[in-house]
Amino acid sequence: MDIPSSLAIISLAALVHASFQLSVSVLTLLSGHSIGAKHSQARLLRLTSSFLLGAAAMTVLLLSFISLMLIQLYGNITPQVVWAAACGLSVAVAVCIWLFYYRHDKGTALWIPKAIAVYLNDRTKATKRSAEAFGLGLSSVIGELLFIIAPLLISALVLIQLPSVWQLTGIAIYTVISLLSLLIVWVLIGSGHSLGKIQQWRESNKYFLQFVSGAGLIVLVVFVYTVEIVGSSVGFH
Amino acid sequence: MTLSVDVIKRGGQRQSEQFMREKLHTSIVATCLSVRVPTGQAESIAHSVCEAVIAWLQQHPEVTSQDIRIIATKHLRIQHPEAAYLYEQNRITI
Repeated sequence: MDIPSSLAIISLAALVHASFQLSVSVLTLLSGHSIGAKHSQARLLRLTSSFLLGAAAMTVLLLSFISLMLIQLYGNITPQVVWAAACGLSVAVAVCIWLFYYRHDKGTALWIPKAIAVYLNDRTKATKRSAEAFGLGLSSVIGELLFIIAPLLISALVLIQLPSVWQLTGIAIYTVISLLSLLIVWVLIGSGHSLGKIQQWRESNKYFLQFVSGAGLIVLVVFVYTVEIVGSSVGFH
Repeated sequence: MTLSVDVIKRGGQRQSEQFMREKLHTSIVATCLSVRVPTGQAESIAHSVCEAVIAWLQQHPEVTSQDIRIIATKHLRIQHPEAAYLYEQNRITI
């Protein structure tokens, strides 16, 4: 696969990752607790920036870890069966997203293990320092691992085929794009927008976001399957 | 001010506790501040919501924390719909 196509796949996978909402929910709650506790705007920005850095760090770590595991297992040439398995897993995740992503109640509660939701809720309330917010950012990415595993796996499979410099570029592109939704909310909160309006928008559009996440993943799978499996079967490479 | 009302905590997992006006007041003020309501107005809204909840509690010696949240949300909605929305959402965001 050529470099532009690889980077396009990584970008699309990162966009799918960006459409997942757990970190955005945690960021919204964290900001709400911080503003409600009459913390200064500077402290609010410190906390939210640390959260963002935590989420970025965990995304880089996860993507690097999965890539390293794949390199250790298969080297630079991934067997087609692994591509097929990754595509199958991604389709399953996409179907799960369409069926279960949001709980069928009011609000934006997600279909993640209750213990994780309670833990994140409690930690968000207890977070007072930047280091804690950083840790919360790390945990929130882990909390949605069930869903982000699909775009991460496909990106890792694409990344390991690239030359070293482009691998780093790919990781950077994935991280920045996957944080886009968090960055947008961070800018909105930092510029004084009401959390109520942000949360209202998220709730009103939650089923649209759910559909887009699943559909994005399906499009990604179709593209990857066509290039990597169908393409190589007909001698495209 | 402490009324003699038992508040059963969410899910019934923790011990019930006496109703504490201060706790409700603080949570309403915090929610109002979250939607950028000025501090004075937030205090005034919280005061009036607490009064309404206390009036309701006079006829209910045992309630759940969810009941209090529902009644507080109902009265907060009259004062500030956006704050009421966020107050209601607090436990259903994640």
